[in-house]
Amino acid sequence: MKLLSSALIFTATLAAQGLDPALIAKPARDMWPTYNGDYSGRRYSTLDQINASNVKSLTLGWTFEAKSVPIKSTPLLVNGVFYFTVPDHVYAIDARTGRQIWHYQYPPNQGDHIGQRGVGMYKDWLFFESPDAHLVSLDAKDGHVRWTIELADEKLGYFSTMAPLVVRDHIIVGVSGDVTDIPGFLESIDPVTGKVQWRFYTEPKKGEPGSETWPKTGDAIEHGGGMTWMTGTYDPETNLVYWGTGNPNPVLVGEGRPGDNLYTCSIVAVNADSGKLAWYFQPSPHDVHDWDAVETPVLFDAEFKGKPRKLLAQASRNGYFFIVDRTNGEHLLTSPFIETNWAAGIDEQGRPVRRVDKDPTPDGALVEPSSNGSTNWMAPSYDPQTKMFYVIARRNFGEFYKTAEGKAEGWGGRDRGLFADSVLQAINIQDGKIAWSHELGNGEAHGGILTTAGHILLTADAGNNVLILDPASGKTLWHFTSNNRMVSCPMTYELDGVQYILTAIGDIVYVWRLPEA
Amino acid sequence: MRYSPVVCLFAVTVALAADTPDPAAVKRGKDKFVASCGFCHGNDGTGSRAPDLVRSPLLSHDKAGETIGPIIRNGKPDDGMPAFPLTDAQLSDVAAFLHSQALAALRSNRVPGDYPAEKLRTGNAAAGKAYFEGAGGCTKCHSVSGDLASIGRKYAPIMLQGRILYPAGAKVNVTVTLPSGEKVEGTLVNKDEFTVALHDAAGWYHSYSLKTVKAEVHDPLEAHRAMLYKYTDQDVHNLFTYLESIK
Repeated sequence: MKLLSSALIFTATLAAQGLDPALIAKPARDMWPTYNGDYSGRRYSTLDQINASNVKSLTLGWTFEAKSVPIKSTPLLVNGVFYFTVPDHVYAIDARTGRQIWHYQYPPNQGDHIGQRGVGMYKDWLFFESPDAHLVSLDAKDGHVRWTIELADEKLGYFSTMAPLVVRDHIIVGVSGDVTDIPGFLESIDPVTGKVQWRFYTEPKKGEPGSETWPKTGDAIEHGGGMTWMTGTYDPETNLVYWGTGNPNPVLVGEGRPGDNLYTCSIVAVNADSGKLAWYFQPSPHDVHDWDAVETPVLFDAEFKGKPRKLLAQASRNGYFFIVDRTNGEHLLTSPFIETNWAAGIDEQGRPVRRVDKDPTPDGALVEPSSNGSTNWMAPSYDPQTKMFYVIARRNFGEFYKTAEGKAEGWGGRDRGLFADSVLQAINIQDGKIAWSHELGNGEAHGGILTTAGHILLTADAGNNVLILDPASGKTLWHFTSNNRMVSCPMTYELDGVQYILTAIGDIVYVWRLPEA
Repeated sequence: MRYSPVVCLFAVTVALAADTPDPAAVKRGKDKFVASCGFCHGNDGTGSRAPDLVRSPLLSHDKAGETIGPIIRNGKPDDGMPAFPLTDAQLSDVAAFLHSQALAALRSNRVPGDYPAEKLRTGNAAAGKAYFEGAGGCTKCHSVSGDLASIGRKYAPIMLQGRILYPAGAKVNVTVTLPSGEKVEGTLVNKDEFTVALHDAAGWYHSYSLKTVKAEVHDPLEAHRAMLYKYTDQDVHNLFTYLESIK
């Protein structure tokens, strides 16, 4: 009897597979506890077993086929189990073998199924956003639903795609919207009860600071857009959550909303406990080209102009690279990372000055980049070894038409995409200059970037090749040609003393390792 | 914020507006709306002294007048809105009109294929001709009596403007030089950092590792790409106005 109870206790200990939120700040080698792998958004791993000297001998560890739409999510890895998603679906997979542990399917719904970026994890629970803007909490053990709450009204055009960010006992979630003129917000949910702890609207209320950047009369500010559709970053020292926000609405027509339209196309720094705004920086004031500033606000500490600083960097969809001081939002650097034709210069606050003659018109305005942007959601990376920031950039043009007559609602127009090709840009953080470029071919590349202490950089070209490059020079060290494009971001981990690299290509997960000794 | 317009349009249209309203009902509803509601809500329903109805949560939750109907009939006395005693048929028509307006907003994220030529024809044809024959360098490859004869009739105006800027899909030729020095010419299928693939003149497919061969791509669209960096918008509108007149 005594023996039996010890055995039970032992079994129970083994079964605990949860994630202590305190561990997210310093992830172990065998963990990838957030969408970006940690709070910083650097997508840099300290693992170096796979490195520039041995990468040529990489071999396939295992594969998993989701039999689904292409995977856009980055999996979480906790206690040897991967949790990843496609719209309406969550999978738990054994990280040693690729064996499926469980699969959860959200009920049929009318939401927008454009993409799903992953889950957040708190203790034994997962948090998953649905196409119809609900938040589902699952038991990580078996995928059973704990509760489901509505984040926003799907009938108004809200949907959701992002991976929640867990900060202590806050599940921080954003929402998506597109063609309807609805306000964006960032929200913190209690992981136990599902109750809202705070909500930060990306448009101020009339009379609040920032509201002066909208018309005083009319309802433009209430329909302002500013979606929060990509996972942000967090600094435990400042206790600030850093989040990018999307375009204002109506998307392509700004006449009804003169002003900068805060806090759309902005990076906002929000207190993790109160949701109060600490500071903001706006890459695209009064956007009329759909250039969301949602790209990862990457956090790193580095010497900048001879002084150690706590930095935040973003390569934004509008083609410009920005660095600010993340403690207070002080602007430090603005520099184009690719050619564009929409800005007349940089203002005293470091913001590109929009050329009004490149606003959409009934007869068309030729603008670089197109509405798809000079970059987009694909993860960038900062490598502290090279002190370079890497981004997937595109040269693309759109002819922008304003089609609305009368009061514009929704988009009010659209661009027709012309030529596009892609290039990986290595940006020197001191001056924003391009240290090297690696051409990725015709079309728009959609793979994210990972760098590691092993002096390697992973990404994909605009075709069907996964690439490993030398992060110092951009030289190709290894490649793998598959039957599909990688539209997700690679990650890496160590299990049982073996380093693995994970690439999700189409709906197939490929896991790479060095050959067994 | 959209990334993939095709997917989006489909999904949002399904989610937010399952049915395209009957055009006759929309017409009747519009007349009734303009007569009864337009003075305050604007003739297009996008708001004036009274709120925008097209992007109102009320309309978003309405299917065929069941939500907006009671408000129209009872008014909102606290907000100064009188009651309008519409018949069931009139209510249904007004609802059809407002839903058609909401659907138009949802579909405003694309330029219609029948976009009118008048909107695009803002340039000067003579200046377009001069640019075509001069600074644009177009006559190096094109002629309005040759490949571009009747070009103004061949495409819908919006397509024509797009194709003037970048006629995607043109065949790209490639010359591959083998280690022996022999050359293989063909139509490019794919080229990346590692391989090149082509169809030869007889229609056979070949692919080569770029470690072993040299490949020279002759892309006829290279000049079009270079011009994207040079055009002013006025050049584009002049060129369109000129070429659209070549009937």
